[in-house]
Amino acid sequence: MDLKTTRQGLPWRRTVTTRAAAFACALSLAGCSGVQSALDPAGGDALRIYWLTLIMTLGGTLIFLLVTGVLLYAIFAPPERRAWLGGRRTIVVGGLAFPIVVLSGLLPYGLIVMRDTDVPMPGALQVEVIGEQYWWRVKYPEEGGKSEFSTANELIVPVGSPVTVTVTSADVIHSFWIPNLGGKIDMIPGRINRLSFTAERPGIYRGVCAEFCGDQHARMAFDVVALERTAFEAWRAAQEKPAREPDLPFLSRGRALFRAAGCGSCHVVRGTEADGAFGPDLTHVGSRRTIGAGQFPNNIGTLAGWIANTQHIKPGVRMPSYGSFTGEELRSLAAYLESLK
Amino acid sequence: MSGRRTGQVLLMLAGLIAWAVQFTVIYGVTSTLCGREWADVTLLGVGIVHAVVALATLAALIVAALSFLGSWRIHGGLGETAAAPDRFISQAGILISGLSLVVILWQGIPAFILPACA
Ligand code: HEC
Ligand SMILES: [Cu+2]
Repeated sequence: MDLKTTRQGLPWRRTVTTRAAAFACALSLAGCSGVQSALDPAGGDALRIYWLTLIMTLGGTLIFLLVTGVLLYAIFAPPERRAWLGGRRTIVVGGLAFPIVVLSGLLPYGLIVMRDTDVPMPGALQVEVIGEQYWWRVKYPEEGGKSEFSTANELIVPVGSPVTVTVTSADVIHSFWIPNLGGKIDMIPGRINRLSFTAERPGIYRGVCAEFCGDQHARMAFDVVALERTAFEAWRAAQEKPAREPDLPFLSRGRALFRAAGCGSCHVVRGTEADGAFGPDLTHVGSRRTIGAGQFPNNIGTLAGWIANTQHIKPGVRMPSYGSFTGEELRSLAAYLESLK
Repeated sequence: MSGRRTGQVLLMLAGLIAWAVQFTVIYGVTSTLCGREWADVTLLGVGIVHAVVALATLAALIVAALSFLGSWRIHGGLGETAAAPDRFISQAGILISGLSLVVILWQGIPAFILPACA
């Protein structure tokens, strides 16, 4: 799958949306399509929110221009020409009837958007996401004979079927937001919130933390991948398995270093003695698209860079830098992690 | 303020007062019922929250409508020689109760669109 798939519009209402989006983009002069854009909706909820935004923004702008125009007219037009502005009819029509009609339309519209958005669906895929400074713990609970597993900084969902994400926080308040797929939901310590949505077109999107949560708040993102059902099931089956055994001496050396350095006191690698629950589960870290909560593409080079310079890359993050590995050690450790597909 | 003036002012403000009461009842009752998980109770087949909202809205609408008609009648009955305050109060009464009718309706609309404890 490549980024192109995310650019294809929803089959429904595609032309209207595309044209409207193009217009909005022309207005804002910003790139609007892409992996993290509320202006490029990839699901029904995001589409409803998008239309609400569009209508409110364009409507508000038009009314603002109208009122400003009338105001300027009232100030600069000669008295005999502007006299009608002070008449009873103008006040009744412009000051009473117009706002009442506009608001009487917007209120039910807003309520209907509210009613139809974030609706829990029977049979939805359940996922639990816990916000932590500064990453996302993602749990797929046991379901219909499939066992539970954890991953981090990625949410993989089947396309076209409803998902309910249950969120909370392990420390401070975070907020879970996938602009292309729906609205935001706060992650509050000691409280459980839910957000339901459906990804309607396959693709790769990005979620972000939308509530300032500390120094590295801006580096707290996650990948969202909407896969076809069969690909999703294959992913899920692979994630359920314990970590791959290293099949090369180089990789075994990496695993020994992982053990010796005590990485396992914070990280789980299922199938090994590493069972620390503090940091992200690394059982299948090699299968993720990115590392460090969306900071780098995932490869041996960035993994090695992360391990050696954690505090330089994300200062204040709750993993120490391991600057004392030799180059060769770092490469084998990174290669071991990368092999954990 | 004479008794007559007090009555006039009350009539003028009746719509607003009805709105305030409706507002308090709707918010208070909805959060109490939903918070205590009594929301499933039904009244004549209608969910209790929706029933309360509908009744409070209806009652407030009736009060505001009476205030509107009353102010309208008084305004229409004023002669050429009526005192300026009488004219003003009855006119303001028409406007205030008319607007109250609109906001009371708006306030009740969510009950017809949203589920009770969403
Ligand atoms: C004190 C606990 C702790 C120790 C010890 C620790 N880590 Fe981490 N690690 C973390 C935390 C917390 C994160 C999440 C950082 C963030 O906010 O992005 C993390 C993230 C990572 C990631 C990125 C995971 C992802 O999916 O983004 C890798 C890879 C990693 N650690 C490898 C290691 C290795 C290798 C060692 C041992 C040399 C190690 N860690 C030791 C706490 C720890
Ligand atoms: Cu955060």
